[in-house]
Amino acid sequence: MLLIVRLVAVILTAAFCGGCVTARVEEIREGHTEMAAGDTIAVLGRRERPSAAETELDFVDCVSRNMGGGDGVSVIPDRTFRDTLFPWFEPRTAPSNTRDLPDLIGHPTFIERLNSLGIKYLVWIEGSTRRTDSAGTMSCTVSPAGGGCFGFLTWENDSEYEASIWDIKQRRTVGKVSSDAVGTSYMPALIVPVPIIARVKNSACTSLADQLKTFLTSES
Amino acid sequence: MINTPRHVRGWVFALLLALGACASPKISMQGSFPIPLVNPYPVAVGWVLDEKLLSYTHSEKVDRGKEWVIKVGSVQQAMFDSLSKGMFKSHVFLQEEKAQPPVKVIFVPAIEELQFSTPAQTRSKYFEVWIKYKFRLLNADGSLRGEFPLTAYGKAHTQNYSMNTTTSALEEATNAACRDALAFFALQFRTLPPVKTWLDEEGLGG
Repeated sequence: MLLIVRLVAVILTAAFCGGCVTARVEEIREGHTEMAAGDTIAVLGRRERPSAAETELDFVDCVSRNMGGGDGVSVIPDRTFRDTLFPWFEPRTAPSNTRDLPDLIGHPTFIERLNSLGIKYLVWIEGSTRRTDSAGTMSCTVSPAGGGCFGFLTWENDSEYEASIWDIKQRRTVGKVSSDAVGTSYMPALIVPVPIIARVKNSACTSLADQLKTFLTSES
Repeated sequence: MINTPRHVRGWVFALLLALGACASPKISMQGSFPIPLVNPYPVAVGWVLDEKLLSYTHSEKVDRGKEWVIKVGSVQQAMFDSLSKGMFKSHVFLQEEKAQPPVKVIFVPAIEELQFSTPAQTRSKYFEVWIKYKFRLLNADGSLRGEFPLTAYGKAHTQNYSMNTTTSALEEATNAACRDALAFFALQFRTLPPVKTWLDEEGLGG
């Protein structure tokens, strides 16, 4: 009985304290930015070579959606952009830095398509979400008569992303925005597991998207 | 209505789950490819896609004897159709290795080898696919001008495919390899030895 009371106490404590996320956003401005009517940006994930820290597609989509939502800026999603400018942004051919841009801009068909889309900035996103710590145990039993779980799990996720903003016409990087978020999730189980999830990646995404919008639209 | 005992239904469900986990991964590539954004060559070309290419299927036993099947022949025509729409003034698919004007040259692609690796094999989180092509370049009368190889690579991270991870990620890796083949062809075309010679002869070597 005492064990159950203790477990309930732990669950309640976790419910109140768990699921919290701490996010931090920083930006470095290296040039002037502004968005006029008709200007568009493309949000792209880096994935040239296999890497343990490849940016998740859903994160790139999330940033695109959040930047474009409401009174946001006009955004072309990653896949649409790569298809429209195929084969210039494939893993084999994508420019790795702004020094590669003049080669691309030199192709008339390329610049023509870019202008028709109204692309002014490219936003390259790098980074990923990793599990940095985990603890606890949980055992589940299934039998023909029924089943259930008992135990307690906790884990910490860390999201670290950085967005580089390229000005296509000026052919240079105009700034960087980074977003770090850390959060601990809990899963107590007394017959039924009750996940209390910290939405770390989502928090990093919304923070990054909001800051990118501010960065691009505030004239400075 | 048949009243099945609850524990029997439980065991049947568990058995179906187990069978699902043991099923051999099979993918059959479908879909379209983007038209490359390049300056088209003002020439008409022909393509001969033989039955061996169009039905190309790679089967391999890995992971404790499970057979993996990748059908990549099904998208070859879509690949070379999109490629040609962007690269040449016009193109035609031929039944034989001969063509009438205005076709200047004929391409005959063949897949020599397809390899793939799973995350379990490489201890990574990637499915990777390599496709090795060999292209024959023929004159319109069917005589051989030359050959050139093309090796394409594609990968897909498992983190992007939470449902049906194995087949979805393998399919995306194969799709990425097909796109890589088209990207290589579109951008390296003029540097390939037999092509360069032909383009010079046509005055298109630029």
